[in-house]
Formats: sequence, structure tokens, C-alpha cells
Amino acid sequence: MSKIYEYLDERLSISDLKKFTEKKTVPNHKYSFWYYWGGISLLCFLIQLVTGILLMIYYKPGPDAYNSVRALTYDVDFGWLIRSAHSWSATIFLLSVFVHMFSVYFMKAYKKPREFGWWSGMALLILGLLFGFSGYLLPMDELSFTATKVGLAIPENIPVIGHAIASLMRGGLEVSEITVQRFFAWHAVVLPLLYLPLLMFHLWLVQKHGNAIPPSEEEVPFAQRKTIPFFPNFLMKDLAMWLFTLNVVAIMASLFPPDLGKMADPLGPAPVGIHPEWYFMSSFEMLKLLGKVITGTIGEAVGITIFTLGLVLWCLIPFYDVSSPKGLKGRRATYFGLFCLAVLLVTTLLGYLIG
Amino acid sequence: MNYPVWEVQGIGLPWVIGIIAILHVMVSQFAVGGGLYLALAERKAIKEGRTDWFPMLKSHSRFFLLLTGVFGTVSGVGIWFAIGLVHPEATSTLIHNFVFGWAIEWVFFLVELASAIVYYYTWDRIPQALHLKVGWLYAAASVCTLVIINGILSFMLTPGATWLGVAGSGHESTYFWNAFFNPTYWPSLMIRVLVCASLAGIWALFSFSRLDEETYGDTRVAMIRWTVKWLVPAFLLMPIAFLWYSAMIPPSNKHLLELGMATIGSGSFTQITRIALLSIMSTATIAGVAYLFAYKYPRDFSPSHATAVLLIGLLATASTEYAREAIRKPFVIGSHMYSDGIRVSDVDRFNKEGFLAQSMWTPTGPSVTEEQRGRAMFAGQCMYCHTVGGYRSMKHFLEGRDAKAIGNILTMLRQNKPDSPYHAYMPPLVGNDEEVAALQAYLLTLNAHPAPAPGSVARR
Repeated sequence: MSKIYEYLDERLSISDLKKFTEKKTVPNHKYSFWYYWGGISLLCFLIQLVTGILLMIYYKPGPDAYNSVRALTYDVDFGWLIRSAHSWSATIFLLSVFVHMFSVYFMKAYKKPREFGWWSGMALLILGLLFGFSGYLLPMDELSFTATKVGLAIPENIPVIGHAIASLMRGGLEVSEITVQRFFAWHAVVLPLLYLPLLMFHLWLVQKHGNAIPPSEEEVPFAQRKTIPFFPNFLMKDLAMWLFTLNVVAIMASLFPPDLGKMADPLGPAPVGIHPEWYFMSSFEMLKLLGKVITGTIGEAVGITIFTLGLVLWCLIPFYDVSSPKGLKGRRATYFGLFCLAVLLVTTLLGYLIG
Repeated sequence: MNYPVWEVQGIGLPWVIGIIAILHVMVSQFAVGGGLYLALAERKAIKEGRTDWFPMLKSHSRFFLLLTGVFGTVSGVGIWFAIGLVHPEATSTLIHNFVFGWAIEWVFFLVELASAIVYYYTWDRIPQALHLKVGWLYAAASVCTLVIINGILSFMLTPGATWLGVAGSGHESTYFWNAFFNPTYWPSLMIRVLVCASLAGIWALFSFSRLDEETYGDTRVAMIRWTVKWLVPAFLLMPIAFLWYSAMIPPSNKHLLELGMATIGSGSFTQITRIALLSIMSTATIAGVAYLFAYKYPRDFSPSHATAVLLIGLLATASTEYAREAIRKPFVIGSHMYSDGIRVSDVDRFNKEGFLAQSMWTPTGPSVTEEQRGRAMFAGQCMYCHTVGGYRSMKHFLEGRDAKAIGNILTMLRQNKPDSPYHAYMPPLVGNDEEVAALQAYLLTLNAHPAPAPGSVARR
């Protein structure tokens, strides 16, 4: 054993890595719980990779899409479970990404020198949402078809370039098997190619700057701050969290597998009660509410502008909040965060309640 | 039938018992395991002079007394209420057989509760050796409660050939001990004892993880490590216990398991298999966290970890109890009474004389419509397991089916041929032709709106 270790160490310098991880520490305080959410989303992403590859073995994009998912769900051994795990892990992935983002925001972990962590994180979130949007269409059942149709009608309203973007994504004027083909390419090739290097960058930054501490902890004198070693203590805690997450994914996946609706019929009537996945519910509801105030395509255009503006502000927060956490700007940033969180929660809830 | 039907929509009748029973089992099996735990921990502390353990054990015994003595007893009575309301017919059969058993059980309950109170209030007040004896008295009484109730619980899955031979004759209770020491009594007892020990460990981990690390560092580490050992017997012996148990269950129940495994690919008829997978996974997670985490790094083991282990323990308990209940299908008392309260021996007579004619609670007379009679059939035979729009929703099952399709299913359920997929887990439908037609008419009204309701399409 030691000989193998020596052999590898001489060539790969494992001992450096070991020394490094033993030296690395993670802050330990009453908000430490929030440190685990990035790790939870990482686990879910890994589950997505593995289950996604397994689904690809049977999935056929294009005209056969629906039938291949049908066969996968009802004929292939454990196909339903893999599909269910992929679907549930996507939900838990986005949920943990949101929790991670807000905890980073309120801990003010976007401040110097961690700005790039914040920006790369935002880019990962957007890619994650695009993963969700593109993956949702792939079964091509009535519901996913109609929801995608509605979803793609939204960029249509962007002035000047809107129509071109929507047509490019659809591959024509209507959602069809060509769209499925394109969405599959996005979902399984383009997005992962963009996501993986960005994820590496994000993780490298976390590693480089270490965990940020919340403002309340910064007031504690340096000598009194508590830390725990990254290896093995923090890693073990992280792994324990992964194990719990895995249990949650397994419970949901095995007890509540997703249905497969009827095959999409472009000429048929839209099924009743169409609404998007929960992570798009908030923006969908906001557009709807705005549409009541400003009717017509202008309303949607205004809505899209507001979203874009909000997102840009959200991304630019590191430039605004440069003062001490208790300063005016610091407090305003916190209020802005609470406001955004409240809007997200309320509109999502409204979306489900009033449909 | 002899009793009115209690209608519960939404969660349905099974979960009324299920929710109360699962929470009760979590606590009552802790009551059994925890008694042994306290006695053995106190003994160890005395023998090894670990005086620092006593205050911890005292505080744990307070938590223990509150949880088992209050929640455990109240939820136990809750089960009585629930089964009496949900399944009066089966409850009546149990009482007629086991009234003597329950009398013994209550004696042990009384001793158990009294000694638990004495045990907590006499810490530091009576000599240590005597205090430990009270602990042992508690442990013995609580083990006896398990020994008794296990006979009644396991009877419901496997009443045994002797008892079944006299079932319905009025002489059932003469064969009390045959019914009590039924075929699954011993393996079931082994499983429950193992579960009791591990629950004692899990709850103690919950209790000790809350000790402040800085104040109680070494005591905390020692107690957490010792507690983890309580999970070991279950993980080593549980596979053997399960093999023994499954060897003792009748072929028809085993068939249900096999059906689940054979159809796992399609995901149909697989509830038990899925539940079994969850049960295995949650147990493995507890083992992993207990050893790799609580035992190896007790200092980092926080109350939130302990809570997570407790919740996964709840999942393991829930899924195992669910699986045990589910393999009893289509009976509530194995081979004697179907899960809708109809005795196997009554099926032919009910088919001839009609089902509704047997019940004093159904509307009769010329003014009663066909749909009302259908609804009475539904309440009397379906609602024990199904609801209109909630758990095992009929609306969902019937979606898109017309009168003919519904009629076909009812015929299949009525004929109950051995090769019917429903044969393994649903009771036969009983009643005369007219009643079955009324049921069909009623079910069709549930399906008046074949399009999915708003909101039901939200997820996928």
C-alpha cells in the first residue's frame, strides 16, 4: 500500500494535496448550516448527469420522442425510476440553488474579493433554468408541449429581435418535432458544455477565497472565530448532507413518479389549467398580473424589461454594496434582497392559488 | 353490514390509522428499547464509576418519560379509537379473541408507567442499586407489553390453521394461544426487538447531541459512541430476521411481493417493492451516518444531524410498517376477513342475497335511487381503501373510462379469478347484479368531467 502511495506521490504529488486539505479550514458559527446548500446543488447536478446519461440510452428526440418516453416509463426495467429521479432531482437542484443564492446574498458573500463567484453563480442559475425549460419539453406530452408553446410566446414580444429568437428556438413558427430535436441538443450538449467549465470556475473561486462569513461573525475578533478542518470534519459533514439529500430524492422519486400525459396534439385544444413548472411560476404570474394593468403585447414587453432590469440590478449588487454591512448601502442591499425574496414567494404562491 | 361507515375523504381511512400508528410505533418501540437502554447505561455508569453520566441519564429519562408516558400512551389510545371507527368489524373480531390478552397488556402498561415515573423522580433520592432495580422493573414490564401486543399484531397477518379451522364457530377464543403464537409470532418478535434497540439508540443520539460540546466534550463523546452500539444488533441480524419472517408468511402474501418485483419495470403493482427499497435505503443511511459520522466524529455530530437521523428513522419505520400492512392484502385478518370487513365465508351468501340487504345502515325503500344505492356500495366496499378524489383516488383511476370499461373492471373484481392482477391485493366485489349495476352507475358519475382538473396538471 505504502509503495503504491509512494509511486503515485512521486508522480502526482498527492501529499501536497493532503497537506493542503488538512490545513484548509471552514468557519464554524451559527449560520454554518447555509454553507451546505452549494454542495447539495452540486450533488443534484451529479445525479442529473448520471440519470440524464441513462435516459439518453432510450430517449429518441424528434418524431419518436413521445413513444420513446412511453416505452421508457412503462416497458424498460426501472425506466420509470430513472426518469422520476431525473425529474425530482431537477426540482431539488433548483430549490437548493435558490437557497444557496439567497444565503450567499444575505451573508454578503458577493463582496470583494468574491464578485466573480457571485457572477458565475448567477450564470449557473440561468443555465440551470434553461436546463429545466429545455428538458421539460422532451417527453412531448400534451402538457409539456402546451407549456413550452406558452413559454416561447413570451420572447416573441421582445421588440425587434423577439420573433427571430423565438423562431430560432422553435425551428419554425410552431413547436414541433424539430423543436424537440433542438431542445435536446441544448439540453444534452450545448448547456452541459457551457455549464461544466463555468462550474469548475465557480468551484475554483470558492476554493481560492474560502467560505465568506456573515456580517454578524465579522464583528467577532479574529482570535475568537471558530473554524473546523476541511478534512476530514467538514467533508464528512458535507457527505452526511449528501446522504440525506439522496434519501429525499429517493423518497420523492419512488413514491411520486411523474405521469406521462397524452401525446401532444398540435391541433387539439390546450389542456385545462396549464401552468409552468414551479421555478417559472413567479415570473409567469408577474407577467399575468402585469398583463392586467397594461394589456396586449406591450404589457409583456414591459414585463420582460422589468425582469431583465431586476436581474441586472441583482447581478450588479457587488458594485453597489461596498460599504460596511451596517452602513446605509449595506442595509439597503439587505432590504432589496428581502423584497426580491418576498416577491418571488408571494407571486409563486399566488400562481398556485389563483392559477 | 353491522356498523355504519365512517367517511374520510382526502387522506382516506387507511391513513387515519396509518399516521397515528406510525408515530405511535416510533415512540412505543422507543419505550421498550429505551427502558433497556436506561437500565444498561446506568449499570455501566455504576460499574465503571462514570459519575458524569448520571446527570445526562437523568435528563434523558425525563425526556423519555414525557415522550413515552404522554405521547406514547395518548397515541396508543388513539389507535384504539381509530381502528374502532375505521374498521369496527375487524376490531370486534380482535376483541372477541384477545380480550384476555389486552387485560394482561394493561397490567403491564400500568406497571410500566408507574415504574417510569418512579425511575425519574427517584434519581439521587434512593440508593443507586435500588434505583437501578426500578430501571430493570421498567425494562421488564415494557418488554412484556411488546411480547403481548406482538401476538395480536402478527395474528392479523397469519392467524394460523388451527384458529382458521374454528373461525366463525363461536369457539375461537378457546384457541387463544394458537392464535397468539401464530406462525409469524417469533420472527415478528425478533424484528421488533431489534427495532426497539435501534430506536433506543436513535432517540438517545437525539438527546445527547443536544449537549453543549464545549461544556460536556468528553462525556458527550463517550455517550454518543456507546449509544451508536445500540444500532449494531439491528444491522447485523435484521436480514436474518426478515428472511425468517418471509419464510413464515403464506404463499398468497408472498405472491404479492413477487408480483411487485415482477412488475417493477413498468412501475405497476409495485408499491410494496418501492416501499421495501425505501426501507432498505433508509436503514442503510442510518447505519452509514451512525458509524461513519456519529461514531467516527462524535464531536461534529450536531442536533440537526440527530434530527435528520430521527426523520430517516421515521421513514424506515413508516415504510416497514406500510409494507407489513400491505402484504396482508387483500385481507385485514389473513384468510378470514377481507380488508373491506367482509368474511370470506360470507361472500357466496352476500352474492346471492345482496350486499346492501345485510346492512342496517343503508337507505332502503322505493324512493332510493340507483345512484344512492351505488354510493352505499361504494361506501361499504371501496372506501376502506379508496377515496373519491384523494388517496387512491377513484376519480384518478377512472379518468377517461366509460360505462363499459368500468363495468369490465367491476366484473373482473367480482369474478376474482386467480389470474386477475387484482386478485392478489383487492377483495372480491360482492353483491347481486342489480347492486353491481348501481355501483357502476355511481362510479360513472365520478367521471363526469374527464378533463383533468386545474392544478392537477401542475407538476408534469
